[in-house]
Amino acid sequence: MIRFLLKRLALTLPTFFALMFVTFVMIRLVPGDPIEVRRGERGISPERLEQLRHEMGLDQPIWKQFVDYVWAILHGDFGTSIVSKTPILHEFATLFPATLELTFCAMIFAIVLGIPAGVIAASRRGGVYDQSLMGLALTGYSMPIFWWGLILILVMSNTLHLTPVSGRVDLIKFYYEPVTNFMLIDSLLSGQKGAFWDALHHLILPTIVLGTVPLAVIARMTRSAMLEVLEEDYVRTAKAKGLSTYRIIGVHALRNALIPVVTVIGLQIGGLLAGAVLTETIFSWPGVGKWLVESIGRRDYPALQGGIMLISTVVIMVNLIVDLLYGLINPRIRHAK
Amino acid sequence: MKFKTLFGAALLASTMLVAGAANAKSLVYCSEGSPENFSPSMNTTGTSLDAARPVYNTLVQFTPGTTQVEPGLAESYEVSDGGKTITFHLRKGVKFHSGVNGFTPTRDLNADDVIWSFGRQWKPDHPFAKVSGGSYDYFNDMGMPDLLASIEKGADDLTVVMKLNKPNAPILANLAMDFATIQSAEYADYLMKKGTPEQFDQIPVGTGAFSFVAYQKDAVIRYKANADYWGGKPKVDDLVYAITPDATARYAKLQANECQVMGYPNPADLAAMKANADVQVLEQAGLNIGYLAMNAQKPPFDKVEVRKAIAMAIDRDAILKEVYQGAGQKAKNPIPPTMWSYDDSTVDYEYNPDKAKEMLKAAGVEKLDTDLWWMPVQRPYNPNAKRMAEMMQADLAKVGINATLVSYEWGEYRKRLQAGEHQMGLLGWTGDNGDPDNFLAVLLGCDKDGKPNAQNIPKWCDAKFNEDITKAAEITDPAERTKLYQDAQKIHHDQAPWLNIAHSTVFEPIRKEVTGYKVSPLGKHEFQNVDVAE
Repeated sequence: MIRFLLKRLALTLPTFFALMFVTFVMIRLVPGDPIEVRRGERGISPERLEQLRHEMGLDQPIWKQFVDYVWAILHGDFGTSIVSKTPILHEFATLFPATLELTFCAMIFAIVLGIPAGVIAASRRGGVYDQSLMGLALTGYSMPIFWWGLILILVMSNTLHLTPVSGRVDLIKFYYEPVTNFMLIDSLLSGQKGAFWDALHHLILPTIVLGTVPLAVIARMTRSAMLEVLEEDYVRTAKAKGLSTYRIIGVHALRNALIPVVTVIGLQIGGLLAGAVLTETIFSWPGVGKWLVESIGRRDYPALQGGIMLISTVVIMVNLIVDLLYGLINPRIRHAK
Repeated sequence: MKFKTLFGAALLASTMLVAGAANAKSLVYCSEGSPENFSPSMNTTGTSLDAARPVYNTLVQFTPGTTQVEPGLAESYEVSDGGKTITFHLRKGVKFHSGVNGFTPTRDLNADDVIWSFGRQWKPDHPFAKVSGGSYDYFNDMGMPDLLASIEKGADDLTVVMKLNKPNAPILANLAMDFATIQSAEYADYLMKKGTPEQFDQIPVGTGAFSFVAYQKDAVIRYKANADYWGGKPKVDDLVYAITPDATARYAKLQANECQVMGYPNPADLAAMKANADVQVLEQAGLNIGYLAMNAQKPPFDKVEVRKAIAMAIDRDAILKEVYQGAGQKAKNPIPPTMWSYDDSTVDYEYNPDKAKEMLKAAGVEKLDTDLWWMPVQRPYNPNAKRMAEMMQADLAKVGINATLVSYEWGEYRKRLQAGEHQMGLLGWTGDNGDPDNFLAVLLGCDKDGKPNAQNIPKWCDAKFNEDITKAAEITDPAERTKLYQDAQKIHHDQAPWLNIAHSTVFEPIRKEVTGYKVSPLGKHEFQNVDVAE
């Protein structure tokens, strides 16, 4: 197991380096300079531009900038944002918990509803349940996120008054200093009555919106994996032995069907961590997705490079955990030479 | 017994707390983004300036809702020495916020704070000049380093004497701009000693109507009313900026009363907003201009007849309807109608393609291949430059002009326009300080040798026009200045270096319960006089 882990970790190193290089080069290929892009109609004199570029080290040859950057990263220095002049690690640490909290809730939502939906659809193959559940999954999968979010706000918040429109907590009723930047935890730590429920309330709509696509994907994947497994010999044997349907599906079939589903979940988490931009924008969620998109617009090189590196680290770690989970679910992988 | 007393006291205290919380009045403003930091001298974006404004004051200030300059931290000022010396008399007893970031001021505002605040932006050897990156764009853009000769303490601690290298009337309007905010020299010393000077720009301490409480990036900024405010305690106790980047979500929050004032509505939502009984939509002509510049240094646009013919070939009413969707006003002068010295007697060019064709023929232009540049971004004065360029292209085709559409990345676009690579190009401007000089001199002025300023996109120089605007900047008599600027507008009309397209309208939706809110022509969001009805 440890050898397996070390092997997987070693494989991530080239990925990191390639990512670092690609991010660094790509952002510099985008036309527009971080200084000029902030100047709008006003413009800047060539002398002042040169001076500012020099101060930021942008007048150095690209290879030199890259070597300096790698050197700094190896020393744990991700640089300082050109826009806010705040260390990237600090900005990331403030914003990432919000993204993580939302991603976590969205994944729980997708898994808790998606796997049972897939199992039900597979066990009633071709029936009404199957048709309608898969129809819903296809609709969910094709739903434009922005539209879906706005529709939910209009119906749930503005018409039915069931949920707040956006934000993470009621700004008037509750005020406490963030400790962990996870709102659910901070609201509990604050000791303010009702804060936790309010924070939970604020999570409902963004969770549904962000969780819809993964929910659809997981449901469809579970269904097809289940269908495959249900035709295996051992399931037929189990049936012949007279086991109950519940036991056949719940104990024997599902565990084997879960392997491809876990892969999909892993991939979805990676996508959600960096791809929650639209959800974060609609619900004013202070996460890293929106921060990265704004950094592209502002050509904030350090924020973009640092942000992508840090998110990649998390995504690679998640994939590593997923790989380890395979081993737990399927011993054949663990013991494979 | 002891337990009972304690319990009773606790109950009383909690009741008072709850009652206090219930009585506290809050105002939530749905803002559009996070500030870069809280020092106005370092920022140029409206979002950042709005975030620092509740905390700070300037020597002179704009009367809310106008571009008129009125006394601020300076209760009076005198101009002497032929306009080259301005003496400011500071208000007595103006307090800096106490208790923010562990800082307790030991003295009131005085001349040292004024000298410190300008010195930071002006003198490279100032102890804070390099803190937080040290880029003071507005101070430089407004030409302050060339204008200022000295800023010194006057006869007493509350007198500041500002000496200029040459007389300059617009400087008072410049000093009402956010970059000229007065910050606390004592707070700066305190942080320097603490070893955290960069906090000066992140945790602001000022003299403003609200003191800073907390900021969470991309989420919220909190302020509380300054009970000692020299202008009187604000009417709301807590001011909250709920950072809400999406315009539709801002409106949804306004509807749900999660915020009471919102900025920058989506034009598509305006009709619904106006129909909503809980919302009132305030509007005002923006202090901006969108224009089509014709490069006077490139033939055939060096001929005034050609420029005039193009002005008559383009159907601006259609553009207003299609591109501005009614949220704009056709422009006949390069300055907006809300600005003093606006020349209402100007007779605008009519849309007349037949006449335009004749004029072009008379000028010897029958078939013309040219370019037409459009900027790749949405700006306050031009919501959709590409669509506008397409409409203009179709109009020009009708008079025999074949215009090829050109665009570049925004920074590159502006740079190439300033270098004069274009023949025809779309651009615009939003005013900084409400002074006509900020439009006419910046956008159409030339230097002594007849070389156009960098931002003179038509690359047009007219000796009389230049003489008018130069003289108007050096004298202080408003009537005389008005006359000169009106004359300049007449020259602009007759010479048509650019086609005035539109001044866009600024809309600000607020809840019905909100009173005292004024739309600023300068695009500021200010809350010191705002109240919320229970």
